[in-house]
Amino acid sequence: MPACATERLRVRVAAIDWAMLETAIAMGVEVVAAAELRLYRQMVVEPAMPPGVSDLGLRGSLNYEALLRAAPDLILSAPWYVKYQSNLSRIAPVHSFRIDQRGRSPYEPAMEAARELGRLTGSGERAENLIIEVAAEISAQRERLARRRGDAFCIINIGDPRHFRVFGADSMQGHVLDSLGLRNAWAGQTRYSAQAPVDLVSLANVGDADIIIVRPIPSDALRVLPESPLWNALPAVAQGRVHVIDPVNPFGGLPTARRLARLLGNALA
Amino acid sequence: MMPDDIASRRHILLLCLLLAMLSLALFGWSLVDVFSANGSIAAMNPSGRFAGLIALHSLAPRYLVGLLAGAALGLAGVLLQIVLRNTLADPSSLGVAAGAHLAIVAATAFAPELGGFPRESVAFAGGLVAVFIVLGLSWRRSFEPATVVVAGMMVGLLCASLTATIILYSGQYLTSLFLWGGGSLAQQNWMPPLDLAVRFVPAFVISMLFVRALTLLTLDDQGARALGLSVSAVRLAILVLAVALSAAVVSQVGVIGFVGLAAPNLARLMGARTVRLVLPLSPLLGALMLSVTDGLVQAIDRASRFDMPTGAVTALFAGPVLFWLSSRLRAARPDLRADGLTESSRRQLFPAILGSLALVTALALLVGRSEIDIGFDSLSTVATLLPWRAPRLVAAMAGGAMLATAGCLLQRMTSNPLASPEVLGVSSAAILAMAISVFAAPAMGLAGQIAGATLGAILGFAVLIVAARGGAFEGNRMLLAGVALGSFCGAALTILMTRGGMEAGMILAWLTGATAHVDPAIAVVTAVLAVVLIFPALLLSRWLDLLSLGSEMPAALGLAMIRTRLVLLTLAALLTGAAALTLGPVSFVGLMAPHIARHTGAADARSLVAISAALGALLMGVADLASRLAFYPYQMPIGLFASLIGTPYLLYMLARR
Repeated sequence: MPACATERLRVRVAAIDWAMLETAIAMGVEVVAAAELRLYRQMVVEPAMPPGVSDLGLRGSLNYEALLRAAPDLILSAPWYVKYQSNLSRIAPVHSFRIDQRGRSPYEPAMEAARELGRLTGSGERAENLIIEVAAEISAQRERLARRRGDAFCIINIGDPRHFRVFGADSMQGHVLDSLGLRNAWAGQTRYSAQAPVDLVSLANVGDADIIIVRPIPSDALRVLPESPLWNALPAVAQGRVHVIDPVNPFGGLPTARRLARLLGNALA
Repeated sequence: MMPDDIASRRHILLLCLLLAMLSLALFGWSLVDVFSANGSIAAMNPSGRFAGLIALHSLAPRYLVGLLAGAALGLAGVLLQIVLRNTLADPSSLGVAAGAHLAIVAATAFAPELGGFPRESVAFAGGLVAVFIVLGLSWRRSFEPATVVVAGMMVGLLCASLTATIILYSGQYLTSLFLWGGGSLAQQNWMPPLDLAVRFVPAFVISMLFVRALTLLTLDDQGARALGLSVSAVRLAILVLAVALSAAVVSQVGVIGFVGLAAPNLARLMGARTVRLVLPLSPLLGALMLSVTDGLVQAIDRASRFDMPTGAVTALFAGPVLFWLSSRLRAARPDLRADGLTESSRRQLFPAILGSLALVTALALLVGRSEIDIGFDSLSTVATLLPWRAPRLVAAMAGGAMLATAGCLLQRMTSNPLASPEVLGVSSAAILAMAISVFAAPAMGLAGQIAGATLGAILGFAVLIVAARGGAFEGNRMLLAGVALGSFCGAALTILMTRGGMEAGMILAWLTGATAHVDPAIAVVTAVLAVVLIFPALLLSRWLDLLSLGSEMPAALGLAMIRTRLVLLTLAALLTGAAALTLGPVSFVGLMAPHIARHTGAADARSLVAISAALGALLMGVADLASRLAFYPYQMPIGLFASLIGTPYLLYMLARR
């Protein structure tokens, strides 16, 4: 739809992809429906879901009837969901945003996505505001963490007692570490870093880096890890340099960067 | 039974020594790598103080776990093979591992607050339930090997599909490797090897003490009974022991395929004939095989920087070995003829089925649910939603009819009442190819995925044809070739899925069925395919009648047996592949519908095919309605919903017999 029309109308938006969902909410765009809200509240947490957003069910098995009832003007999607394109476009125009891509930092694409969303919904100014806010939060936390500049960190999710997922340079987590002036202990490694589960032993590779565990932690890992001699011998564990932070969207957009920067600042400063 | 000769003992000794040396060499290599200056870990950690710890707390226990898990699986495999007199039996082919894995995943998802729950007893219960369902299903065919394996494949598929659904719904698909059932042997403390040792050693001692009883079990039951053995009690006890061993392995390291199947057969291949020799050799060979495989997997990991789950890698070998073994089975001519049921009720049946179809269609189109209530929608709502409900209903019903027809053809052709399109492996091949296209060329999108799936189905089918040709497309050979193909593709898919990320989530959604995403074009294509493929099945039904008379007669009637089977198999595979694109890999409609059709009294093949197809459409119509309404707005995978409706029916049929 033409830009002049969207300036006047409130554009009702439905989001399939969480990165765009959080971006839209943070920009104050009117979100009428989104996928997997139950899990969103546990795993993404912020920005908080406004009331009245319909749940569209699983991202892998969207409920089109619920989407029809919500009557969106625009649907925010991602390349993962290309297979739903033909059905989604029967309901409303679909816009697909590519943020995560192997081997490339997602921050630039996330800014571009926010601007694009601003253009599509006539809230270009709020997109610029969001970009400025996020950058401001990151630089404030960077100040706060000045003492730790250049220290090495490793951000992980614990999958089970023997495997974890690590966030490499091509993740939002890796980018935030960089822009906080911290060093991603995983970034310089040749090891495949696109968030595949890896053997816990590989944590020995990160040397003296602090370990940052992103919740949730599976209960069996909580039980087994403290008994593991190898875990306990990791320098970070032995010297009490393991930090646990609240859940952060693993495939996030700008709001994820802001949340992570703040959580890291609180945990490390 | 012949005694073991000296030459074969020498061969076995040589093989074991060779494997042991290889296994130790690989272990040594991993140690050297850790301690060497430019090894994968030491390089990152210049101080090198970690090398010792890793060797002591990760590599050493991992090596032992490989040996012990392999030994436990080898022992479980040989026990199951003796008890069932079935060289194809092992914890994975009987569904034990899949049942145990499902139980653990369900407990993790639904009762995570239990923290220290006894994972192993949950696994044991799951494995036991699975094996009893499998044995129950094959009871009437007196545990004939092919039937047991086919039933095991079905139960395994159902468990895997339930597991996938639980993972999908609990949102854990992004992290845990264990949940995938990949069977990783990675360790970081000594508890798993100790736990496994404490279970394996007594089980092994008990088995060796009962070597005489086990030998008697390999004779026929009358002989064993005459020698004073309570056959069923011993069978049950050994079965439980084998399941316990398998559950211990699953709860410690996940699902590890193949070892339990291969170890006893390797021992026999090397010339071990007596139980006294096969029994101890199986755990030994199992231990060495798994340890060598894991050593190779670790070496590949070090080179490629990508952790592969050892269990799925061993499972890759299961398919080919299963197939090779099945070609050595003595061909037993199954005795299931057309059930000679009365024809009188058939006339009234068609109207009843057509009436139900109309009713279900109406309900599926008119009933809806919002977040508040459930009921008939207003006309204007229906008008809006019809373009959405109609395509998925049409696709579901057409898919159901196709699967039912395929099941009908297969059951008649193989004379095996458990033959279901799922066990052909064609849909697994399609989904594996689709997954590869998602990972390798994500930019290609839907067109690429469908092209991949089609190519996979064609390739899978070609493999199936080549494999089954050796047996002249004889029933059981064909089914076992299908099972082998399916288990190979399943293992490859597991390896892909453990790479995690959003791609895995997308593949998982496809695995559990995708009717939610049917658009009008796909619906039309599915419906056209259904008509085009079911019609020839009706025309060819005369062949089925002749085929089910037994293998000599039709030849006498001048029927080119092999060509007939080839045509029918092609038709069944096409029907299956077309349906799998929308319904996902598992639904068991193809199993249930022909059975219900037979119960209603359809005797000749043509009315059996027709009634089956109608029932298949009916079942999937109900499943579509139910999956849409049950957990609104969250939708159950439709194929899974159908199999959940169907499983009680199968159990009921079982109980009646």
